[in-house]
Amino acid sequence: MSEHGNWAEWVYIGVVCALLVWVGAEAWNVERLVEHVPADAEVIKVTGQQWFWSFEHEDGTKEIGELHVEKGKAYKFEVTSKDVIHSFNIHDYVVLIDAVPGRINIVWFVPDEVGEHEIQCREYCGLLHYNMRAKLYVEEST
Amino acid sequence: MVLELQKPRPIWQIMFSTHHTDVGLLYLIMSLAFFFMGGVLALFIRIELFLPGPQIIADSMTFNRMFTVHGTTLIFLFILPFASAVGNYFVPIMVRYKDMAYPKLNAIAFWMLPPAGALVWLGFADFTWYAQPPYSVISAPAPAADMWIFGLKIIGISQVLGSINFIVTILKCKHPDLPLSKMPLMAWSFLSSSLIVIVAIPTFAAALLMLLTDRMGMSGFFDPNVGGDPIAYSHLFWFTFHPEVYVLVIPAIGMMYEIIPRFSRKPIFSHSSGVFAFIMLAMVSFASWAHHMYATGMSFTEKTVFMVGTLAAVPASAMHVFNFLATMWGGRIKFATPMMWSVGGIALFFAAGAGGVVNSAMPLDFITHDSYWVVGHFHLFVMGTIAFGSFGFAYYMFPYVTGRMYHEKLGQVHFVLSFVGAILVFFTQHILGLFGMPRRVYDYPPFPEWIAMNQIITMGAVLLAIGAAIWLGNFIYSMGRGKPADMEDPFKLGGKYYYPYQQKTPHHD
Amino acid sequence: MRSKIGLLVVFTIIFIIPTLNYAFAAGDEPGEYLDRRVVIWNLFFRMMVVAFTIGAVVSGTMVWLVWRFRESNPNAKPTKYEETGEW
Repeated sequence: MSEHGNWAEWVYIGVVCALLVWVGAEAWNVERLVEHVPADAEVIKVTGQQWFWSFEHEDGTKEIGELHVEKGKAYKFEVTSKDVIHSFNIHDYVVLIDAVPGRINIVWFVPDEVGEHEIQCREYCGLLHYNMRAKLYVEEST
Repeated sequence: MVLELQKPRPIWQIMFSTHHTDVGLLYLIMSLAFFFMGGVLALFIRIELFLPGPQIIADSMTFNRMFTVHGTTLIFLFILPFASAVGNYFVPIMVRYKDMAYPKLNAIAFWMLPPAGALVWLGFADFTWYAQPPYSVISAPAPAADMWIFGLKIIGISQVLGSINFIVTILKCKHPDLPLSKMPLMAWSFLSSSLIVIVAIPTFAAALLMLLTDRMGMSGFFDPNVGGDPIAYSHLFWFTFHPEVYVLVIPAIGMMYEIIPRFSRKPIFSHSSGVFAFIMLAMVSFASWAHHMYATGMSFTEKTVFMVGTLAAVPASAMHVFNFLATMWGGRIKFATPMMWSVGGIALFFAAGAGGVVNSAMPLDFITHDSYWVVGHFHLFVMGTIAFGSFGFAYYMFPYVTGRMYHEKLGQVHFVLSFVGAILVFFTQHILGLFGMPRRVYDYPPFPEWIAMNQIITMGAVLLAIGAAIWLGNFIYSMGRGKPADMEDPFKLGGKYYYPYQQKTPHHD
Repeated sequence: MRSKIGLLVVFTIIFIIPTLNYAFAAGDEPGEYLDRRVVIWNLFFRMMVVAFTIGAVVSGTMVWLVWRFRESNPNAKPTKYEETGEW
């Protein structure tokens, strides 16, 4: 082919690889932090079905379409589904995990401000997927 | 090259021909027809989402069916057959053989596609191109779902047959004077993508059969009520369709390897690094499939493995970009329409790749998974890179196929409208995803940011549509009445190096 | 060649295997309270800073290439391959 050196390409590939290593290491570190559930987190059982969410607190209280939690407490969601695959998502708190029938998936968070947030389904689940929503109420701790 | 459209022939002579350029022409026409059909669906979807509340589509079921058929059509009935069209025209010429290795098999592989397309369109299934069980097993309405399954089955067989044909043509029918190391990079791209198809497709073929027997109630592979596992389907599906992404993108890169040196008036910067990158991509493509499934409850170890596998595909793609830019460096570039598409495609390829690296970072999945970010990301690949490369090559082939020139200015207008439209649509979709809008929704709550961004996206989609309409008009008009092309050098580049020109293959009918 | 392979093996044993072990073993010990919004979005914005920097370099290079080497540029001169017409 043509007469030219290859050093520029090697430098370029080196830079690309270094960047990729950086991305991988950073992502690995953050994932490690957010995956570890605190030991004292309170369990909330989340069940998705076509096309609504239901919740069960540790003390047995059940809620449908809305979820009340207290500020400053850690919550561990045990997410499952009764029919097809859904995806449990509180976008404002970056909480997301699939609700898979026959499996229990885990995700956790600590709400830190009083307020209302949207809960939605992010995995296509049929006719009313677009409207499979619920509300999260974060309340002052008692 | 044979001028199919200049030399009048009865239509059945083309339809029943097994000559590689005739089959290529059939592939070309069918794939472009499906491009416009799928594009119209996209336009409907975008208009529906212009405002919250129902607009022009009566109910969510129709909407769900539309985006399912939109995705299935554009991937399986536009992009793949378009690549086959280009391969049929050029691979035999590039390896200096009189035809494809198995001409009859070639025609059979093509003629499987129209019935498959008819099954997909007449069924109009609603379970997305992903057909995720248990939804597709227990909820998706028959017969649409079953028709989709059979349609995809046929497409898969056709693809395997076509790939075998390419591999045998390249490896066995190559002229003895032409070593593999000197074979043009576009032929290399078809060799590597065909090898991926052979390895990847059987898995999905098996998954489709299992899905079908599940739907008939004969088995319960994916139904948790009888002890199956829906996530198993995800693994089988993505084991085929992550590599399939590279099957789509590698021929498009091969087309750019054909156009960019030609219009830069320089040889390719490094042939060997292009070959190396193709082989790397073909191998690494199998190491990353489960990055689509971070949110299904995978363990930390699994996620780490697949993140590393995904990142490993990046250096090879980056080598292609380097090769393109280094080829343009020091050239005397003629910005005719094909070259504009290729350069635009490289720019968007970089953007899509950078988004892909960000996607592969595990924790960011909590933000982006199944949101409009993902829609923007993969459309940057399939539309911004693959379709841009393909459109450029369609313009490049046009004089060889028809013997006439397309209208150059209109071609450039098509490019500019599409480039601006693509940026408006797909970049905005990324941002919309960051604001949390889920994909595959018929309607959305009236949050002001969501409304504003959806409207920008719809306007970009209209630009894309106008560009495509101009393209269609340009090609149809120029086919019959365009200026006769100078077959020695249609693009006035001055080189004497044209595969099509060197082609002396007679018809064998 | 053989010494290179040997070096590679030694390197793998000393560095890569412990790194992999460490990387894959993470995730067993209980975590502490942290705000996942802050951690994840911070990661996102760090990556965006890098991505946009690289994007500026790449797209800047492309714009310059297109501007400098177009055939209508006053400085454009025929490439050496044009003499023979073979490229």
